[in-house]
Amino acid sequence: MGYFDTTTSFAIILLAAVIHASFQLSVSVLTLLSGHALGRKAARNRLIKLVDGFVIGAGMMTILMLSTLGLIFTSSLPDGIPRILWAACCGASIGVGVAVWLFYYHAGKGTSLWIPRGFADFLSDRSKHSKNTAEAFGLGMTSVFAEFLFIFAPLSLTALILTGLPQHLQLLGVGVYSAVSLLPLVIVGTLIKGGHKLSTIQRWRENNKRFLQFTAGSGLLILGIYVYVEQVVQVGGV
Amino acid sequence: MGLAIDVVKRSGRRPSERFDHEKLLRSVHAACLSVRTPEGEAESTAKNVTYAVILWLENKPVVTSHDLRRLASAHLERYHPDAAYIYQHHRIII
Repeated sequence: MGYFDTTTSFAIILLAAVIHASFQLSVSVLTLLSGHALGRKAARNRLIKLVDGFVIGAGMMTILMLSTLGLIFTSSLPDGIPRILWAACCGASIGVGVAVWLFYYHAGKGTSLWIPRGFADFLSDRSKHSKNTAEAFGLGMTSVFAEFLFIFAPLSLTALILTGLPQHLQLLGVGVYSAVSLLPLVIVGTLIKGGHKLSTIQRWRENNKRFLQFTAGSGLLILGIYVYVEQVVQVGGV
Repeated sequence: MGLAIDVVKRSGRRPSERFDHEKLLRSVHAACLSVRTPEGEAESTAKNVTYAVILWLENKPVVTSHDLRRLASAHLERYHPDAAYIYQHHRIII
């Protein structure tokens, strides 16, 4: 009962993962975590363990969230996904896309994000106090969960598409989505472990933040509209 | 160096505290280390910046933490622009 053919399904999953990857909270937290570790003269091995722990934690949370959504959809809707759910998820994607265009970053300098300030302070404080791999792992998980408001749309559409694929392809889909969404963290982590300056990384992020914001917002709009037309308008025979 | 200067905190919600030059020194030092500055250079930069801030603070009974940060940033910019960038931005990364 596939909703799209396999190639289209994976193309959509890839687009959703790229959109997820363009969100910046986890990268911001990783930058802070590394800055604090370097600032307290952490040994290179310690820094590597912290960065790896963080990235693995973020990956684990992504897999858990995607699998949980998939499980909820398959177990609660054994007769297939109703059009109303497709429409709701597409609406969320379009709405969040517009919100990302308008609000994703706070106005002014820096890469300060549109999340409650209390929560941003909490993450900032935790990044300062994360001194071992387990704490970094937990911080990685928390940073992904904290962005749930924004990543809900690509996650839910991916989960819906995965429910229509055979089991072995579902696993592959979860793997592809998680791997692609983690790419920015892996790249930034590799740069940090390789000895690059945080100031260079952060400057690049700040200089390109509007582009990333535009890409994420546009991607969500395209994703939402495409799936809506395919699954709500055409399937419904409008 | 026990300067009797009250530092009014950023939001105004937390109580003011006495100026602690060690705290300033540590924060500048950490900013230098976070951009991979060698230990010796980080130490001397932190000392120079802290000294410049202490000079500016003379005869001032009260100062805001924002002013301290702004001034330290300006001095750090002269010695180490990369460290100054991180020092200025670490609160606006998230």
